[in-house]
Amino acid sequence: MATRLKEIDVAVVGMGWAGGIMARELTLAGLNVVGFERGPDHRPASDFAMPGIRDELKYQQRLELMADNSIDTISFRNRPEQLALPIRRWSAFLPGEGVGGTGNHWGASHWRFQPEDFRLRSYLQARYGAKTIPDSMTIQDWPVSYDELEPYYDRFDKVCGVSGKAGNLKGRKIAGGNVFEGPRSSEYPNKPMPSSQGGVLFSNAAKSLGYHPFPVPFSAASAPYKNIYGVAMGACQECGFCTRTACEASAKASSVTTIMPALRQEPKFELRTRVFVSKLLYDKQAKRVTGVLYTDLKTGQEYEQPANIVVLSAFVFSNTHMLLHSGIGQPYDHATGKGLVGKNYCYQFEAPAAAFFPDKELNPYMGSPGGGVVIDDFNNASFDHAGLGFFGGGYCVASSGGAPPITGRSVPEGTPSWGGDWKRETVKWYYHAMHFNTQGSVYAHRDNYMDMDPTYRDALGRPLLRLTYNGTDNDHAMSRYVLAKLEGVIKAMGPAKYEMRPRPRNFTIVPYQSTHNAGGTIMGSDPGNSVVNRYLQSWDAHNLFVMGASTFPQQHGYNPTGTLGALALWSADKIKTSYLKNPGPLVHA
Amino acid sequence: MLGVLVLASPAAAADAAHGKQLFAACIACHSETADAQGPSLKGVAGRKAAALEDFRYSPAMKRADIVWDAANLRDYLHDPQAKVKGNHMPFSGFANIGDAEDVAAYLQSYK
Repeated sequence: MATRLKEIDVAVVGMGWAGGIMARELTLAGLNVVGFERGPDHRPASDFAMPGIRDELKYQQRLELMADNSIDTISFRNRPEQLALPIRRWSAFLPGEGVGGTGNHWGASHWRFQPEDFRLRSYLQARYGAKTIPDSMTIQDWPVSYDELEPYYDRFDKVCGVSGKAGNLKGRKIAGGNVFEGPRSSEYPNKPMPSSQGGVLFSNAAKSLGYHPFPVPFSAASAPYKNIYGVAMGACQECGFCTRTACEASAKASSVTTIMPALRQEPKFELRTRVFVSKLLYDKQAKRVTGVLYTDLKTGQEYEQPANIVVLSAFVFSNTHMLLHSGIGQPYDHATGKGLVGKNYCYQFEAPAAAFFPDKELNPYMGSPGGGVVIDDFNNASFDHAGLGFFGGGYCVASSGGAPPITGRSVPEGTPSWGGDWKRETVKWYYHAMHFNTQGSVYAHRDNYMDMDPTYRDALGRPLLRLTYNGTDNDHAMSRYVLAKLEGVIKAMGPAKYEMRPRPRNFTIVPYQSTHNAGGTIMGSDPGNSVVNRYLQSWDAHNLFVMGASTFPQQHGYNPTGTLGALALWSADKIKTSYLKNPGPLVHA
Repeated sequence: MLGVLVLASPAAAADAAHGKQLFAACIACHSETADAQGPSLKGVAGRKAAALEDFRYSPAMKRADIVWDAANLRDYLHDPQAKVKGNHMPFSGFANIGDAEDVAAYLQSYK
């Protein structure tokens, strides 16, 4: 029997990026907020300090910061007629756990979506014809425009101390920045990181082909920075360890480095860690959630925590699962296409490449993701899709920095994977290998979705979430096209050899590809096309706000975190200025 | 050449006000909070290396056996790994030794 606790103002479920932002903004508005986190607390002084944080085996191989699959996981299959099996060890994607969430170990690529991405269906129909989008492609317009979101993109930049170079300031295009981006109200808070040697080679080759290279927008401070919450960030030291691990210099932005230092001083905030919220308590009649049910993982005790407002800010899978398990909203039914919770699951379509330059010293033992160089000439609205047979696109990025001792051993195809020859080739190529990636969109398809698994259950006895996903013809065609453009640049760089690595026909859950999952609790203009409204408020419970990439109607050709953070700030602002004064639906259906 | 010699000499007037500005590079870790990643620097001038009991110093820093006078601070801030090889501070140093000297001067008054 669950112990019933005293009511609180706000329960925030999941203390990653979105949870951290909401907890900070709502405590500033005077509310008492409790943050619930299934994983441990993360304190930089003890958990992210030198030299332990550079233990690549622990963090990058053994996945120290990732969610514990032995408590819960998801099951997976490619097609609806298959039996799904549980993912027992994360690989293709790596959801995080603990305070900071997936934001602790991200690669800190900090992007905005294009203005046209926010009105994707209308844009494609206007440009390519009303009947151009196949019925199976269930993409839709966002219920918020780029212009509406821009002030919050800007604010999130200033939470994170992002380092980069604007390519569009209030409509003025600036060479050296991303000329394909939407207008920014201000320049990045910090100057871009110096480009890696490989990035410079890529930049020169891209320019020779008429493309528009610019430095990766990097969510870390290139110089000491004080953010809008008054938190000091250190400057990136280019240590060479970044993704899958946390920052030893408090330079890479996460809720741990940019928000928690302020929240820990905040008397209106309480953090509960190692507590697993298993269900939202839902009063369907009143169209309200009444609180959360959670298990203390240290004692096994179950508690009912009544709350006036619930912010659901877990990972994409957990958000969708929580709504399905709590009976909030209509589950998506693949057979009929009806229902919305679990609909429009979208992955990110990334395809990499490698190139080898025996006469170039690329110093890969150091560097940061911000040392990469990008071209965005082949994203959604950057180019004409007429006659190409697909929609969408992505950026191409190149870098030679940050190759840690275990992971950073690029050898040409055909090299044995162990033994003397492998060792010789590793030594031969370590200084001379470069890596590339294409960050492709995934446009929603009626066959890609999430629902409840009929067979497997988690440690708390709940059915697992089941993911049904495969790469679509559209997305494969998109990826081939963007990869071919990347190949053109690589050839112009004059490597001794190179390898393009397109994705196999069927999506597989190994090896690592991208942690960018989206959809399942999508936002839209009315309850007939979405789970949450434009302020991320549930259509089915006015005091429930769902955060994160699960609200994206589809995945665009950029990393999701910039938009995720902007949306959280946009939602928080509306809660503060409207909802608290007059609790109820913020958009009338 | 003369300029370098002058800057490197402790007799040159170090600019503590400039050092205070540059100290922004340090405060993310040396935040003087309970959760700080770096040890407290209040009163560091004249203190023996690895002297605070509530901070977990690296073995290298514990072995360093130096006192943080202006010259040692300057050299350490300029190139931490050259001065105390193997220490755990994730900072590559102030490339300009004049900057390091200014921060060292500022730390003399940091209490």
